[in-house]
Amino acid sequence: MRCSPMSGAAVELNGVSKVFGTGDAKVDAVAPLDLMLKAGQTTALVGPSGCGKSTVLRMIAGLEDPTTGTVQIGTETPKALARRGAVSMAFQDPSLLPWRTLHSNIALGLKLARKPSNPDQVNALIDLVGLSGFGDRRPAELSGGMRQRAAIARCLISEPELVLLDEPFGAVDAITRNRLNLELPPLWRDRGTTAVLVTHSVQEAVLLSDRILVLSPRPAAVVADITVDQTTIPVPNTPDFQRVCDDVSDALGAVAA
Amino acid sequence: MTRTRGIHGWLSALAALALWEIVAQIYPNSFVIAGPLDVLRHMAENTGLLSRAVTATLHNAAWGFLWGNLGAIILSCTVILLPRSERTISLLALTVFCLPLVATGPILRVLYGPGNGPQIALAALAVYYTTYLALVVGLRAIPQNWSDLTRIYGRGRMTELFYIRARASLPYLIAGLQIAAPAAILGAMIGEFTGADRGLGVLTLRAMRSLDVDATWALASLAATVSILVYGIIGWIGRRLVAHPASILMTPPPVQGRENWSRSLGKAVALIALVLVLWHSVMDIFDLNRFFAKRPLDIWRYLTTNDEARSTLRTALTETSALTVPGYLAGLGLGAGLAILLTLVPALSATVLPAAIALRSVPIITTAPLIVLALGRGAAGTIIIVAVMIFFPTLIACLQGLRQTPGQIIDMFDSYAAGRLRLMRWARIPAMLPAFFASARMAIPAAFLAVTTTEWLATGKGIGNLMALTATTSNYNMLWSAIVVVTAAATLAYLVVERIERAILRVYASEQVQG
Ligand SMILES: Nc1ncnc2c1ncn2[C@@H]1O[C@H](COP(=O)(O)OP(=O)(O)OP(=O)(O)O)[C@@H](O)[C@H]1O
Ligand SMILES: [Mg+2]
Repeated sequence: MRCSPMSGAAVELNGVSKVFGTGDAKVDAVAPLDLMLKAGQTTALVGPSGCGKSTVLRMIAGLEDPTTGTVQIGTETPKALARRGAVSMAFQDPSLLPWRTLHSNIALGLKLARKPSNPDQVNALIDLVGLSGFGDRRPAELSGGMRQRAAIARCLISEPELVLLDEPFGAVDAITRNRLNLELPPLWRDRGTTAVLVTHSVQEAVLLSDRILVLSPRPAAVVADITVDQTTIPVPNTPDFQRVCDDVSDALGAVAA
Repeated sequence: MTRTRGIHGWLSALAALALWEIVAQIYPNSFVIAGPLDVLRHMAENTGLLSRAVTATLHNAAWGFLWGNLGAIILSCTVILLPRSERTISLLALTVFCLPLVATGPILRVLYGPGNGPQIALAALAVYYTTYLALVVGLRAIPQNWSDLTRIYGRGRMTELFYIRARASLPYLIAGLQIAAPAAILGAMIGEFTGADRGLGVLTLRAMRSLDVDATWALASLAATVSILVYGIIGWIGRRLVAHPASILMTPPPVQGRENWSRSLGKAVALIALVLVLWHSVMDIFDLNRFFAKRPLDIWRYLTTNDEARSTLRTALTETSALTVPGYLAGLGLGAGLAILLTLVPALSATVLPAAIALRSVPIITTAPLIVLALGRGAAGTIIIVAVMIFFPTLIACLQGLRQTPGQIIDMFDSYAAGRLRLMRWARIPAMLPAFFASARMAIPAAFLAVTTTEWLATGKGIGNLMALTATTSNYNMLWSAIVVVTAAATLAYLVVERIERAILRVYASEQVQG
């Protein structure tokens, strides 16, 4: 695989808000947000359920238009970035196509991004995510954790400048989740890809990200902005690690109260 | 489980055959009924003739099946690619589907001359609408994430259709094709009634005219067997292709809020104008002879200047409605009622469902001569044919709907020891409603088809007979007027049922309406 350091794109949100519906059915999902996410960094969004995390992610992806404000990625709009095939997203459930094999599910990431198909590259990534030998299986024959790996592989195969991960490990058990947390992040981190991650797990956020944004209940607003030094902190069960976790939990507890 | 059910099926089929033979033996030489032995003898004596006829009918049905389904695929893909076109395309497709085959058949015959054209065209007309509805539902029914998957890469609807929707809708396509296969045979046979020179329909007409009871029964049995076979074969192929066949609920397209009447009226007027313009321009483009290819204005002039014609038409329509409405209501009521009864006795429903599914594919209309032979030309025969035509699809749809009551809800009622009747009333019947209404809508064109065909072939009354008569006397003004009236009545009735459906589902099954 090609490893070009710092190939990520910075993400900038200027006064981005989202209101769904009108009249009585109006839902204020996201309050105006100003954010600057540095290129190559992984940012975690944590917050109470239904607070608008997925909506923020979808607006960054260009899947949802902001009601006010603009999203800029590098120098482009999200949709322009998408048309270049330079962004990809993993959903809460793996969303693999059941009629395709694991290999062709991952290869679909290349096809949709209009990149030339490259079976060797797909196989190499399959090995990297620990699915060697399962390339010709269909999703129904794989475990939940294996499907999550495949979904992440589909995301990364197109070598995007920005990956968006919406609770990618939400559907797997705690043990598998811990393993995936250790094994998968280097795949985008080492390539310098910018990442935005939504998670409900404080530990996961601290483990994976350079920066943690704690969001308030709907409409989402940033209530805490915590920096994690990935060169020293992310070793579980150390006092430093525990301290950051406590900071995040306190912020979450404050908004939940 | 499946095995015992299979054995049950065979046993009940054998019992039915025995009963049939006994009845036939009780009434020998009755000019009404021929038993299975007579039927078999007739088949053995005419193997060559019958197999040539089956081949001809199957050949035409296959081509109609192909063209009709191709049309359905193109239409449904258009709707997915251009969502705003949906309402218009759906209504046009419905209008064409409501065309009375009994009248379009003879016109196509004039157009094509002797060959296979009309049979193939009618077979195509008979199949495309169910496949279209099934496919639209199937192409739409994908999880949000799958459609986001293509959008995240900045790809459009075309990519989504190609990589995701097309394959995801396969189970729905197969379910649609399975229903379409027997319908194609039915359409081809009606085409053959209009004066083909080969096929099961031709032999059926000949047997009826010469009051050959053995031949009539043999042909009806043959058509039924062939239909059940093609239904089974497509189902078998489908099960090899997809693991989970879809149970299709052809729910109406979602509506945003309540439409006010003036807006609906405006849309209706626009649609009617569109139909008339299309009608006129298609005929002009193909330069069809004005003598038999009447334009909308010709019909307008004919009907506005000719009092006698108007009253003939009114009388015929009244006669026909008096048979259609009771048959339609009886078929729906009996289908839904029996489905409810059967669900109260679950063991029974497991046995009846496969039999009902097999019987649905029997081309009921081609047995119309038999039923009229047995019951005479009065109202009862026709009403029964309409009711039977509607009964089986309704029964199957309702049984499937009743089975879809969510398990947790059943458990909840059980935990209150609420009893079967209450469970039925409060949980199962609401769960059945979408399926019931879907079949109530689809039953409308079917009811008109049954009535007009019976009137044409057997009773010599009503608008079906008027169509047949005017076709033979080349009174094309009247024929086209009858087509307009029947098509408009069927389309209107369909839309009325759709409105009732929306109103009721909004209360009982709101998630279905929001689609
Ligand atoms: N398409 C939509 N139409 C209307 N309301 C919506 C839509 N999408 C989301 N919402 C509403 O916006 C709010 C935020 O939703 P969102 O999915 O962003 O929350 P979330 O933080 O991701 O929640 P969770 O942690 O449960 O995934 C919710 O109240 C939701 O009901
Ligand atoms: Mg979410």
